Amino acid sequence: MDWISTIVNGLLLGSLYGLFGLGLAFAFGIMRIVNVAHGEFIVLAAFLGMGLFQAFGLNPVLLTLVVALVGFVVGYCLQFGVLNRVLDKDPMAPLLITFGLSIMLRNLMVEVFGANSQTIDIGAIRMAGFEVAGLNIGVLPLVIASVSVSLFVALQLMLSRTAFGRQLQATSDDPEIAQVFGIDYRRMYGIAMGIAVAMAAIAGVLLAMRSAFTPFSGADRLLIAFEVVIIGGLGSIWGALLGGLLLGVAHLVGLKIASGSGLLFAHLTFFLILIFLPGGLAKWRR
Amino acid sequence: MATLNRLDRVALTLGNRELVLLAVAVALLLTVTPFVIDQGMLTLLIEVGTLIAMVQMWNLLAGFAGLVSMGHQVFVGLGAYTLFFFSNATGISPYWSLVSAPIVCGLFAAIIAPMLLRLRDAHFAIGMWVLAEMVAIIVSIVPWFGRSYGITLFGIGDLDREWFIPICFWLSGFLALASVMLSLVLLRSRVGLGLMAVRDNEVAAAALGVNVWASRLLILVISGAGTGLAGAVYYLSAFQVVPSSAFNPNWAVLMLFITIIGGVGNLVGPLVGIILYFAIREIFVDAGNWTFIVLGAMGSLIMLVAPKGLWGSLAARFGLDLLTVRRRPQSARLAHLPGKSTENDQTS
Repeated sequence: MDWISTIVNGLLLGSLYGLFGLGLAFAFGIMRIVNVAHGEFIVLAAFLGMGLFQAFGLNPVLLTLVVALVGFVVGYCLQFGVLNRVLDKDPMAPLLITFGLSIMLRNLMVEVFGANSQTIDIGAIRMAGFEVAGLNIGVLPLVIASVSVSLFVALQLMLSRTAFGRQLQATSDDPEIAQVFGIDYRRMYGIAMGIAVAMAAIAGVLLAMRSAFTPFSGADRLLIAFEVVIIGGLGSIWGALLGGLLLGVAHLVGLKIASGSGLLFAHLTFFLILIFLPGGLAKWRR
Repeated sequence: MATLNRLDRVALTLGNRELVLLAVAVALLLTVTPFVIDQGMLTLLIEVGTLIAMVQMWNLLAGFAGLVSMGHQVFVGLGAYTLFFFSNATGISPYWSLVSAPIVCGLFAAIIAPMLLRLRDAHFAIGMWVLAEMVAIIVSIVPWFGRSYGITLFGIGDLDREWFIPICFWLSGFLALASVMLSLVLLRSRVGLGLMAVRDNEVAAAALGVNVWASRLLILVISGAGTGLAGAVYYLSAFQVVPSSAFNPNWAVLMLFITIIGGVGNLVGPLVGIILYFAIREIFVDAGNWTFIVLGAMGSLIMLVAPKGLWGSLAARFGLDLLTVRRRPQSARLAHLPGKSTENDQTS
């Protein structure tokens, strides 16, 4: 029973991990850009959420929406103002620019907020839980998991069912041909990065409600997000969810085997997949 | 080496004879330095020297093999731990034990190569980072390595205290010199030519008979071993190592941004970057975070406006190529065949 409970909790945590990876997978799928500042955006959103919560006492749903909107604007500006300038150059340029940004943001956050660990205390729901068939399940983790899965579904539907989604896909396939059909790929890229950072922002607020975070939390979140993307198969949305679930379970099972091992078992899972399934889960299915 | 005689004289560059003279002069300077400056300055210079070596080794991989690593701290930490563990276990003098660091780090690089060299660009970069995190976690939970408390170098007690800092300085200084020289010799050789060909166009290089996989493996091993030795020398001078410091991602951050700011893919750029880094650090001596804020901001900005880095841009502007690793046919125009690499050096 103990192990089953670990696995269930791992799945709940893993859906949040999947959400960490969703924005990264989306941006990579559309633009072939790995945004190294993804983790810092998650933490920045957590701080923003905390600040708004403490200042205005916004309710958690409204709070998440506001932070997501800010995330969208930040992502759009980053892509439109900065990353679009280096599209045709060295493929490493976006990576290095966002790495610089992430180092800058991380140290600025330490400077502004201090290195102490913080959290968004949304009250009684944090600790609330219920029992199903002898398993203790927290209400908050369950809510977070359903939000994550809904976002996966929403993004997938947006991509496959809406005209805008198809325009995005066309841009991803060939920006120049898309432009011939009247799609401004620079603007599309901006919106795509906006969506990606908005996803990171939502993940950040959920993370802050669920557990503690510090300005240094970003690096680990980026690594998780990256692993989720690779495990899932590059750019695959459903693969990312599966990757997240796998990592969540690996993380908690690992901690149970050896406490103090941190993300070791999650990293290990990533490397095993890299060796044995280089294309990730999405490729393997086909 | 014969090809170097065919260098045209458009660029200001140093030939083999001048280079040997320069190296001898630097070596002489390094030899006498401990007799003329005080211990505090020497300690700073030890750090400068080891960082020069690390940055050169990082640049070798990124600038010439096109493999940007965000996890090079793994070699720093592994090198330091190897030295400490080996010296403590065998009782061999720490100075001689230094040899163990590059061997273990080189082996480690060779072992991880089949897995990591399958990854490209961003994936190689972050894959290295994940690997470094794994090794850091393992080292910090294994009792042998002192868990998160780290290890102290016992052999240090038998060493002559008066000469310890000067010897560390010599080790670090000559390591820095050797790292530049090794890069230069390697890149001017056949292997280096093949390597840069692979960087610029993998398929074309393979078609011309360059063994892509072997040249990448070789450079990863050299880069890992060199970085490991530099890490070992750095922590030797501190005679104590803890995982949170030795495996700190900031090592890779420094290597990456110092190279980017100075100029990736040439041998002088990283040296310019080092000077700039220590200047920034002196300015923000009371506010450590700001050093990294400025470093990150400068790195991003330089990638945007001058991707060749400060020195790289200056050199291109004024035709300087002091430690050149480029080959030019007799008629320089011939070098301007269509292709990515030549588009980038129109000025040369």
